[in-house]
Amino acid sequence: MNKERTVKIVLVAVIGVVTALGAVPLYRHRHSTMPVIAGPGVTKVIKLSDYAPTLKGTMGDIDVFVMEGKEPGGKAFLMSDTHANEPAGLLALMALVENAVVDKGTLYVALTFNASGSRNTKPGDGYPLYFDIPTEWGQVRFRFGNRDASPLDQWPDPDVYIHYPERQALSYVDGRNTNRTWPGRPNGLLMERVTFAAMELMRKEKVDVAMDFHGAETMFPVTNCIVAPQKSAKIATMASMTVKAMEGFDNHVEPSPGNFRGLSHREIGDYADTLPFLMEAPIPFLDQPTGPKTVKLLIDGKDDFLLSLSKKKKLFVSYDETGWPMDKRVGQHASVALEILKQFSKKNPERSIKLSGFPRYAEIVQNGIGKYFHDPAKADPKSVYFE
Amino acid sequence: MPVITIFYYLITAFIVGMLGWNFWHEKKSVNDMILYLLVIVPLLLRILRVK
Amino acid sequence: MTLQVLLILILMVVAYAAAKAKKLSVELSILAAAVAGGIGGAFLKTPPIGELPRHLVEGMFPYLDVMLVFSTASIFMAIVGESGGINYIVRGTIRTFYNMRVAALLVLMLITLIPGALTGAGSMSILVVGAPVAMALKFMGVPERKRAALLFIVAGLAAAAPPVNIYAMILCAGTAIPYVGFTWTLGIPVLILGTFTVLFYGLKKEGGMNKAEALAAMPEVPAGMSWWRVLLPFLTFFGMVVAYRIWPFGTPIFGLPLEFTAAALVAWLVSPKKIDVLTLSRETVKRLLPLLATMIVVGMLQQIMTATGVRGLFSFAMISTPLILLYILLAVIIPVSEGVLTFGAAAILGIPLVWFLNSIGLHATVVIAALSILWPLGSALPPTALMGRLSVMVSDYKGTYGSFLRKLWLPWLVITVVSILMIIYSAKLSFLVRWSM
Ligand SMILES: [Zn+2]
Repeated sequence: MNKERTVKIVLVAVIGVVTALGAVPLYRHRHSTMPVIAGPGVTKVIKLSDYAPTLKGTMGDIDVFVMEGKEPGGKAFLMSDTHANEPAGLLALMALVENAVVDKGTLYVALTFNASGSRNTKPGDGYPLYFDIPTEWGQVRFRFGNRDASPLDQWPDPDVYIHYPERQALSYVDGRNTNRTWPGRPNGLLMERVTFAAMELMRKEKVDVAMDFHGAETMFPVTNCIVAPQKSAKIATMASMTVKAMEGFDNHVEPSPGNFRGLSHREIGDYADTLPFLMEAPIPFLDQPTGPKTVKLLIDGKDDFLLSLSKKKKLFVSYDETGWPMDKRVGQHASVALEILKQFSKKNPERSIKLSGFPRYAEIVQNGIGKYFHDPAKADPKSVYFE
Repeated sequence: MPVITIFYYLITAFIVGMLGWNFWHEKKSVNDMILYLLVIVPLLLRILRVK
Repeated sequence: MTLQVLLILILMVVAYAAAKAKKLSVELSILAAAVAGGIGGAFLKTPPIGELPRHLVEGMFPYLDVMLVFSTASIFMAIVGESGGINYIVRGTIRTFYNMRVAALLVLMLITLIPGALTGAGSMSILVVGAPVAMALKFMGVPERKRAALLFIVAGLAAAAPPVNIYAMILCAGTAIPYVGFTWTLGIPVLILGTFTVLFYGLKKEGGMNKAEALAAMPEVPAGMSWWRVLLPFLTFFGMVVAYRIWPFGTPIFGLPLEFTAAALVAWLVSPKKIDVLTLSRETVKRLLPLLATMIVVGMLQQIMTATGVRGLFSFAMISTPLILLYILLAVIIPVSEGVLTFGAAAILGIPLVWFLNSIGLHATVVIAALSILWPLGSALPPTALMGRLSVMVSDYKGTYGSFLRKLWLPWLVITVVSILMIIYSAKLSFLVRWSM
């Protein structure tokens, strides 16, 4: 065998082995599932494609947990993992599905709204693939996803993404971002079909309130807040003031800009009779000037660089040595959601929504969110869903 | 899978083919051999629908 | 934590320098830095060693689509070049404009701008049209050192010119700012700076030949070449681009790589000369290898830098620098980072920088445009000096590389000043973005 051939074989072998070692975890991440137990409040589990047949058989089709009360009332649609790298909403809604009981009205819960994104990673940004939350019975493992759907499910990107139907030009990646493709269309891009199906659900079921749970950098001005369009602003303001007075945390209201298209807090309200709210909890992990992108940073939100910048008044939230732990972020989402439902019910008694068994801010911060997750091994297998 | 997406897998495969041919016919430069392989890796993983 | 991250950074710099000292290529040196950083980080489990292969493989992906754009666009331009289309245009320019020096220079500038504008890579301008343009300049009496300098600067502007600007695409993708509003924001400064450059180098006639001699010395154009054969492939490309903008909900999404592929097919079909596409594609891919590999290793470096906190440290340093000092430093940091990291500089320094400048109220789109005009200058700087070396090569300049660099000084200075002023006054220039929408 000649030297050149040997060199080539060695190179192929070395690069091949490293590639395999790197590719297998990525493949597993995309094909992994997270078990969720349909708790006592879940009355049925439907598919998003029930509202848009063009979604059937695609990565965009997801489970929607329906929680119907004994009494009819108003309806709410709650979604997390619109951006799957902002996981506090997912933890909050999973606790809701596993624990809450609806007494009046109906909840529709989509845990991994952008399922393709939750199975995607963000190349170049060095994220971990998973993170674990401790519970009394062991660890619960969550996929850490990306803001955008995977190109494996939607390829190619346009050179510019033109928003349907408003024709606003957006970045080419935003065609894969389910917080830019609202209100969607039945035969558009896969992500447009996802948002279209959700719009159809809200229109057909006459959903009153929609909540979209996110996280935002501490150095981003729109963080730690409720984003609401004009029609939702009163309820958002009341909710914000109440949590501040009663539970002692800040969560201001940001108006939804009228000229920035494709966002849930803009289009849901414009294309359905639903009141939309988008919740942002701070997530230091996503800030640019942080140390290593570790699971620890994702969970505890403690970072020396951010602490130093906070002292120079460069952050948009208060920040100290305690960081910004996950439990606090999840707790905020939970309390703000409950408070929005309460304020809505107060104003619309005939459409009120009442639930119990869902923890609030103080309880989650004290007990840790893990306390509210149940062991799928001990649950009735028929009630376990894989997201 | 949409027709256009299939075209993309074909375009990617075409470029992998060109890179592979060049790798195979590269006689001297070990540097270039390594670079060809590095460029092939992500394109191949896309064709295999890994990433 | 700062110390820990700083140590990893030092390790990466040492690995890069050691690899360079061992005469490894820039691409392999960047790879060495990425791997060293990953191993350094593993000592503190940032990230754990078991995750290192995954980070390295995942890091190969940020620019996958850019690589496809680049490859298909280059094959397209190579087919146009091979068919004689470019020689045809340059000949036409000489025939029509030879006695109108300013007009001839401007047309040559536009010809040089097009390949880079379409592919986002200034080196494409040099590779595809550099040789015939340099020849035309030679006949017009522009000396070789000035030819090399002119080609380099205009090719750099071509990289920044719309519609494809890879720096801006990388920055927009990394900062979630829409890649729109660049047409005039980039187009106007590029045309003004380009005009200044070609006039500065080319206005004075030093020797050269008359029109008849020049035409006789130009390479032959294949028989049967005509304007429509040159234009049809470009019309195909722009037609697909424009169709989506006019009927966005009726046109399927083609994407730039497919649009270039379609244009390449048309160019191949209408070529008066038979073209062996496979051989041409292989040769094109071979020429592109350093660029494609750069995108791969830079993605890996970026992934490791972020995972280990080094990118965060850069970002932190930038945000902590006093603003006035930062503006002044940009004139040096931006080109030097290009010289070391090529496109990777946009990702590693640019993303945190734009993020920061945006947060203090500057107009992000204008800032990105300004930076993307400044960056290509660095392509004349070692260790990569990618476009610089190519410019010297195609224009037959025999002097030292240093003397070529010195010849760049005035356009370099003007471009630097313009782009820094664009950053400082970005809010006032936001009308350019509105025009472009
Ligand atoms: Zn979000």
